[in-house]
Amino acid sequence: MRASAPLLRVRDLSLTHVGSAQPSPNGVSFEVQPGEVVLVLGPSGSGKSTLTLALNGLIPQSVPADVEGTVEVDGRSTSTTPVAELSTDVAMVFQDPDAQLVTGTLFDEVAFALENLLLPVDQVLSRSEQALRRVGLWDRRTWNPDRLSGGGRQRLAIACALAMGSPLIVLDEPTANLDPLGIDDVYDALTDLVAAGDHAIILVEHNLDAAMRFATRAIVLDQSGRLAFDGPAAEVIRGHTDELIAMGVWLPAATLAARMLRERGILADDAPLPLTPEELAEALDAAHLQGGSTLAGRDAADSSFIRATTLHPSPRSGHPSPRSGHPSPRSVDEEPIVRARSLTVKRGRQEILHGIDLDISPGSFTAIVGANGAGKTTLIQALAGVVPPPKRRVIVDGLDPGAASPRDLAARIGFVFQNPEHQFIAHSVFDELAHGLRLRHTPEPEVRERVQEMLARFGLDAKADAHPFLLSGGEKRRLSVGTALITRPRVLALDEPTFGQDRARAAELLRLLRDLQTEGTTIIVITHDLQLVADHTTHTVILADGLVHAAGPTPELLSTAGIFESAGLRLPAVHRVLQQTGIAGSLLRDFTSEASR
Amino acid sequence: MTTITSPVPVIDPYAPTAPASAWRFLHALNPLSKVAAVAPAMLLLVLVRDLATPASFIALAYAIILVGARITPRTAALLFLAVPVGVVVIGFGFSVWVDAALVDDTAPFLQIGSWTLFSGAVEIGFATALRLGAIAALALVGGLTTSGPDLVRSSIQQLRVPYRVGYTALAAFRFVPRFGHELAVIRAAHRVRGHHGGRGPIARIARGWGYIVPLLAGAIRHAERVALAMDARAFGAHPTRTERHLVPFRSRDIVFIALFFAASATIFIALFPWQPA
Amino acid sequence: MPKNRVLSTRVLLICAAVGVATGLVSAGAGYLSIIVSAGAPVLYGLVLGSHVLPGIVAQSLLRVPGVALITHVLAALVSTAFAPAWVLRYIGTALLIGVIQEGITAIGRYRYWGLGRFMISAVIVGVLLAVPISFAADIDKFEPWAFVLYLVMFIAGPVAWTFIGVRIGSALRRAGVVTRV
Ligand SMILES: Nc1ncnc2c1ncn2[C@@H]1O[C@H](COP(=O)(O)OP(=O)(O)OP(=O)(O)O)[C@@H](O)[C@H]1O
Ligand SMILES: Nc1ncnc2c1ncn2[C@@H]1O[C@H](COP(=O)(O)OP(=O)(O)OP(=O)(O)O)[C@@H](O)[C@H]1O
Ligand SMILES: [Mg+2]
Ligand SMILES: [Mg+2]
Repeated sequence: MRASAPLLRVRDLSLTHVGSAQPSPNGVSFEVQPGEVVLVLGPSGSGKSTLTLALNGLIPQSVPADVEGTVEVDGRSTSTTPVAELSTDVAMVFQDPDAQLVTGTLFDEVAFALENLLLPVDQVLSRSEQALRRVGLWDRRTWNPDRLSGGGRQRLAIACALAMGSPLIVLDEPTANLDPLGIDDVYDALTDLVAAGDHAIILVEHNLDAAMRFATRAIVLDQSGRLAFDGPAAEVIRGHTDELIAMGVWLPAATLAARMLRERGILADDAPLPLTPEELAEALDAAHLQGGSTLAGRDAADSSFIRATTLHPSPRSGHPSPRSGHPSPRSVDEEPIVRARSLTVKRGRQEILHGIDLDISPGSFTAIVGANGAGKTTLIQALAGVVPPPKRRVIVDGLDPGAASPRDLAARIGFVFQNPEHQFIAHSVFDELAHGLRLRHTPEPEVRERVQEMLARFGLDAKADAHPFLLSGGEKRRLSVGTALITRPRVLALDEPTFGQDRARAAELLRLLRDLQTEGTTIIVITHDLQLVADHTTHTVILADGLVHAAGPTPELLSTAGIFESAGLRLPAVHRVLQQTGIAGSLLRDFTSEASR
Repeated sequence: MTTITSPVPVIDPYAPTAPASAWRFLHALNPLSKVAAVAPAMLLLVLVRDLATPASFIALAYAIILVGARITPRTAALLFLAVPVGVVVIGFGFSVWVDAALVDDTAPFLQIGSWTLFSGAVEIGFATALRLGAIAALALVGGLTTSGPDLVRSSIQQLRVPYRVGYTALAAFRFVPRFGHELAVIRAAHRVRGHHGGRGPIARIARGWGYIVPLLAGAIRHAERVALAMDARAFGAHPTRTERHLVPFRSRDIVFIALFFAASATIFIALFPWQPA
Repeated sequence: MPKNRVLSTRVLLICAAVGVATGLVSAGAGYLSIIVSAGAPVLYGLVLGSHVLPGIVAQSLLRVPGVALITHVLAALVSTAFAPAWVLRYIGTALLIGVIQEGITAIGRYRYWGLGRFMISAVIVGVLLAVPISFAADIDKFEPWAFVLYLVMFIAGPVAWTFIGVRIGSALRRAGVVTRV
């Protein structure tokens, strides 16, 4: 390769999927040099994934699409050079770690591509070993990949890319399907890779907190798929913060927090916006040194600040505060709507929940958090009767899920699974919504009326006759919530509703849940996203090893030092910075709710 | 979370088999030789009508399995419980249907009211059951000692099955545990919605029908993503690929096939089951 | 990768997904056939008929040449892994039924994918399976009416399962699962 030639040259590229009206990306040009780390940003649907597929020729060779303009890898066009030939120059890591596995052991998996390329056996062996060692999986080379965690499997995918020796590695949201530990796992591997400096990397990522540490450049696509900005990552983000927010592009949490602090006069307007939690901490330290009075005596002020904001929702918040409809102090006296007493659940021979006592007050928005395997899913499924709990241990809105029929229970508590498609039964959106009512023998005119009402409420009017599977991802999610709500249960339970979803869809869902809560529905969610917990919930239940580790109003738990950590959880990095500096949860709530609008 | 190691124990078609002691020779044979060795006998068994021939083949197959295969509790249950019970049950099951007119000159075996089960009918029924049992037992010689992936590999290496098809099959084995997990989730999800409450076979079938589309739709979308990942990793780049896992066809395979043919021929000649009764 | 390749990796893997699902049905059918043979051997054709599923679902879903045979082979491999005692039955029926199903659509030059064509292949499959198997099971010793019923079931089985397979394929198409091949 000549030193001056770009590794990748994209010229006036427009890609149109079969059946799409608009090209996205649309007329995009850029070049990538060896050693660069390029972050690709853009709102959902701007064509980031489509773009990545064109970089190694999968579009148009495996996925049919209209291609205008050219993509050249080391001088070869990706529309005519076979994907297999390009694979030695461009390696891909996809979003879903499961969908990249072909063989039965880690070693075979890494060797798969090398064997396809007809490399001699000794090279296959040595290259596979090198790649596995680089991501720290060599010791587990004989494992079945199923035994790895999600993060481990994604590291394996990175090892597969490394083994091919491609100078360019393209990653499309490699952490979107992972829990926080898995995300760390992947970023550790990527950080090592970048430090070695022997690869150019193109990274599509919504979660910028970790990526900002090593990205050298950012490319931003706008809603219509056009190239909006292209430049050094820090410059693009600092220089166009407002445009990026308006576009719906996600920014590092530290940057958003700093903007909030600027508005409140805590940070100076002229100081550069921080991009990472570390920079935020520095900025706060500097502000502290200059205007010591702002944060003086913060340790004493801290908890009272939280209590104050809990009782009096911030007037600055653009949203009706979650608490404005149902202030938590009132709900304390109220009869709980969900109550569990010494709830013990076994799966097989193993006891998973060991005597849970839990009260959930009506109108609250409760998060259940905990490390993997803590028993969250088991708990919420027992509460909602998905897997009936032992009798006389749980009461939901006056009914015992251990004894009630699913049909009766559905009128008290709605349950939404992670993948909406799993729950769909009927062949049209209308029938899907009507199903719950018809099971109850509701008269047909009333069915029609209530379904229409639900369609209108969730913006699905135009789709009433469509097959549920043909909806967009966001629409499917809304429909699945709608089907759970049509029987007007007073409690809605959701198991990891934002898992594997992009931020735009997650924000849309949370807005919906908050509206429902304002109207009086009690919401229970399981989540790994502590940012979500801090931003949206009124109460939090922390589970650890099948026991309730702590439970109470979210702000109280957030301001209790060490309570999340001792359950094996970690607060978001920015939150940790702010907590150390004495500016706690409520502030974060304000800035994220603003950003998710 | 679905990405974390699945909590339910699943069948792992890739699970490494524990190293067998040297004289468990069946595990060391090529998968195809075990099929080739038994196939002629299986086909000829279709044509026999007596009791002795299938019984001899069952004995032969069991002897080979007991000597040459690793016996786990599961295979022991299969060999000494499932197969015998199957033979007995099928034997009586078939005899009930035998045309009484053909056998009413034989001694009655069982009499219930005016209905008689003749011993001739039982003999015909058991001949059929033993025959089916023998065919199954012969299949188990290879079936109990071969892993799916090895069968695929030897099909690629010896039978020249295109490797793209073969490796698709290897990827397909990965779908199996995933299917089980997805099905469990879909069932729970439908249950929550009170789908077709009700017992009985009809309600069950109606419920099962409702699982098919979500299950297959999810599987197919997953398959499409796997296909992209495989293409991106140069799958199908060349007409052949480097093969590290050789499943060789060695002289011991030829010896096994020859010995088995000889044993089969001996049984067939000795008992010659085709002579007119 | 040559662009004119008949079966893309994507089509192969969709066949694999269908093959796994239907292969598990076949594995179940293997064990079920013990019960049926014991309880009501004349109904055996209904159970064996389920072996038409892989090809029918694949053809009615994908509508391209070659998928029936490939899906049958993949399904046979999967069911063999789960019910090894029936290995020859799985491989034998896979090749036999796969070739028949491919052949019938090939005669129409892969332009007709209606129910009628599939039913023709179902009847042929039924006849070709009934002859050797009724011989293996010594069915001519049965009462004459049972013998006739046995043969009828061998036609009814594949026909019924073909109908089910076509319904599954079209339900999946309606759900937009495979937009283009
Ligand atoms: N297989 C497909 N068939 C038809 N249209 C598609 C297909 N995949 C994507 N599209 C459409 O192409 C456009 C760009 O989608 P793409 O997935 O590239 O966006 P993205 O920027 O990656 O979004 P996200 O952030 O949600 O991942 C969207 O309008 C989408 O609906
Ligand atoms: N059906 C089952 N049979 C046996 N063990 C199970 C079963 N379901 C769950 N478990 C085990 O119970 C424990 C709790 O599982 P659960 O799914 O409730 O955890 P979780 O908190 O939801 O975890 P995650 O964050 O991974 O979703 C885990 O150790 C898991 O392995
Ligand atoms: Mg994308
Ligand atoms: Mg869970």
